[in-house]
Amino acid sequence: MGKWSRRAFIGAGVAAGGALVVGVAVRQGNPIDKLSPLLTNGENEQLLNAWVKVDTDNIVTAVIPHVEMGQGVYTALAQMLADEMDADWNKVRILEAPADMQYVSDSIARDFLAPDLQVPAWFEPTVAGGILELAQAMGLQFTGGSYSVRATGQRAMRTAGAAAREMLVAAAASEWQVPASEIATADSMISHAKSGKSEPFAKFALAAAEQSLPAKPKLKSPENYKIMGQPMARHDIPAKVDGSAVFGIDADVPGMKYAAVKAPPVIGATVESMDASTAKTMPGVLQILNMGDFVAVVADGYWQAQQALNSINAQYSKTEADDLDLDAIFARYATSLDEAGEDGGDMQTEAGDVAKSFAGAATKVEAEYKVPFLAHATMEPMNCTAWVRDGKCDVWSGHQAPVNARQTAADAAGLAFEDVTYHNAYLGGGFGRRSTSDYITMATRIASATGYPVKMIWSREEDTAQDHYRPSATSRFRGGLDKDGKAVSWNNIHTHLFDPADAPTIPYYNIASHKIRKVDVPMHLRFGPWRSVDHSQHGFFIESFVDEMADAAGKDGYAFRQELLAESPRHLKVLDTAARMSGWGSALPEKHGRGIAFVPSFGSIVAQVAEVDMSGAKPKVTKVFVAADPGFVINPDGFTAQMESAIVYGLTAALYGEITIKGGSVQQSNFHDYPMLRIDEMPEVEVILINGDHERLGGGGEPGLPPIAPAVTNAIFAATGTRIRELPLSKHSFA
Amino acid sequence: MTTVRKLACLSVFLLAACGADPAPGPVEQIIVREPGAAPAVTLATADANADDPASALLAEGKAAFANCSACHSLEKGAPNGAGPNLFGIVGAAAAAVPGFSYSDALKGSGITWTAAELDSFIANPAAKVPGTTMVAGAIADPAKRQAVTAYIESVTAN
Repeated sequence: MGKWSRRAFIGAGVAAGGALVVGVAVRQGNPIDKLSPLLTNGENEQLLNAWVKVDTDNIVTAVIPHVEMGQGVYTALAQMLADEMDADWNKVRILEAPADMQYVSDSIARDFLAPDLQVPAWFEPTVAGGILELAQAMGLQFTGGSYSVRATGQRAMRTAGAAAREMLVAAAASEWQVPASEIATADSMISHAKSGKSEPFAKFALAAAEQSLPAKPKLKSPENYKIMGQPMARHDIPAKVDGSAVFGIDADVPGMKYAAVKAPPVIGATVESMDASTAKTMPGVLQILNMGDFVAVVADGYWQAQQALNSINAQYSKTEADDLDLDAIFARYATSLDEAGEDGGDMQTEAGDVAKSFAGAATKVEAEYKVPFLAHATMEPMNCTAWVRDGKCDVWSGHQAPVNARQTAADAAGLAFEDVTYHNAYLGGGFGRRSTSDYITMATRIASATGYPVKMIWSREEDTAQDHYRPSATSRFRGGLDKDGKAVSWNNIHTHLFDPADAPTIPYYNIASHKIRKVDVPMHLRFGPWRSVDHSQHGFFIESFVDEMADAAGKDGYAFRQELLAESPRHLKVLDTAARMSGWGSALPEKHGRGIAFVPSFGSIVAQVAEVDMSGAKPKVTKVFVAADPGFVINPDGFTAQMESAIVYGLTAALYGEITIKGGSVQQSNFHDYPMLRIDEMPEVEVILINGDHERLGGGGEPGLPPIAPAVTNAIFAATGTRIRELPLSKHSFA
Repeated sequence: MTTVRKLACLSVFLLAACGADPAPGPVEQIIVREPGAAPAVTLATADANADDPASALLAEGKAAFANCSACHSLEKGAPNGAGPNLFGIVGAAAAAVPGFSYSDALKGSGITWTAAELDSFIANPAAKVPGTTMVAGAIADPAKRQAVTAYIESVTAN
């Protein structure tokens, strides 16, 4: 890319530095030199900056530094870039960023570490550079935490689009010898009304690269949005409908063989010996491997590998967890909570004097809640294809953190990061499971042993029994109400905190005196983030207890929450909207009930009202009304779909989700004993979206999940008087 | 909540599963055979001599039959799958393999499976016998069909 001047590179670095690659450009040399071969197809394409390119056909390509796992991120992020650029949406192409260190999501790190940091424009490169270095150190090219739109979109995609547009306009102004202020852009065209001149973006792509850049490109205000806020059709849907979409499991490498794997049922055990005498004779078998921590069979076909694997009799080492049952795990939780007493554990937040407010309360409420371990059960089981040869390694998979996957493969193969090429595909479900890299390591180790390409696929049984589980937890509450039924005391201690740190806290509820603590309990199971992470447990705990306090106060759940939110109009509007949608207070048939729950998470505010029919042997959720305020909705269709799918996922867990442990092993194996919500169990879902703060966006992937379980259990209480304090609902009899 | 605390949480979130140990090689590695090496037991001897045009055709047919084998066995006496066992199918009457539940359409077709009849059926089963339950496995490429038919016939002859 010799046409780029060094000066333009550095200029671009400083200017686009609103956030990203640019800060590093100044410190470590120009990143675009390294990136351009990965992104361009020919001499005539010009890379305007790391997040967008314009080619000679006037096609604008948005480079998306996030992975697509069904959440629609490609489309939403491209909308943000295209709108700021005034690109023609029909001529926007999407390219997933390669697993390269230059693409680490520093805007996520920034949002996490310093969300409210405002610095002068001249200082931006330094700050951005520092955060980028930190992000690189953590290998953070990461999709999760409902961060893509609110962090990368807001801080990177929009800035890149606006910067690109300003560069193009400056180039046109220079060529036409007219003031830039007289130039208009729309639909990937640049025009000057007075002279009647009009040219496509591509005409000025080269000249634009030579322009000096504004320190902070001007972003549009919402009244000027044309593409943001519109329900643009999802980029990834056509290929998923016609079957041409390529997922990790579709990797097809010449000469590729297949591996099936089985790890010791008790996590942490090792394979002491294996009897492969039958497997050796079975059709298609190429290799049988005792990898120490798992057994693998490599064969011509996957089925042959799995059949041979099933015939192997392996002996596993003893571990301390061999006698551990689920009851004992919950007993540990209880013991740890007991031992913490009134003042033990880690304080998370405290205000006022909880002991005093509780002692003086007119009404006292106490409750304990439990939630189980959960598996992710992605539709596409864990899989990874690897080829290690001649000091190089290629890896094909679907992973939420491609740079991390690439580094993991390098470590497993004993190679340098640069010697590994990581090819990311669509993820057939992520939910946090694909943010961990165990399956990348395993496939790379197998491929290192064979020397030829191997596609490792976990059976559904392995996928269920060797997950990184959503942790089980116990949470205890003591609450106090004054003589008017107003909440005055909130005391919570629980056994689990992983991420996000605010999950157990309730800053939006006006309760003067509160104290929230956690205790640590060691566990042998592998923990992993699961859609909405800690909010999945604490949403249920908090919103169940709020409902119990409401009942003790003689108020309905909606009215009680209205009082708690009285000083937070934005929160209150969301609550009121959900209640109004549901016809809260209107009559329902016998044995039917409504429940409400309210959980702000990942920057978005969500209230849900569930309606249940308890006339049968098990709960039937008939309707769910959702009101959500994520600040500003970039793609209403996509966001609505995320609310709906969060209800599918969360309701599956609330009704059935439970991983149990016996003798240290997970007892569930497949969908017969770890069931999913069926189509006839799906409630009608209505969603209303509220744009409450266009400058500070919230996430979409996770916030729809936390309210559904408590909304349903609160509805069951309304219908039957039975308070559910332990999930899943399948543990309870309603006959 | 301090910055340091948040960073710690984030690190756990991302790196929890990255193994701390350097990845070890196999404790035990049993190499049964190398890829491409002939398995000890082969179904047919069709790929014995790839220079011979007839052998090449059979080898191609054998490779193409891999798709068919999801439903059909070619092994004598092997059970029916989603489709009937095809051992000895060339020259046989349609819908005559014992124990397979055929569609009424195929039962009433009156076809005798010559190579030509098989060829036209495989080209588009539903067009040849409307109502057939063979809903997958059509082969559009005439050369590939010829190879598959030849392979099926050769296995039966052995």
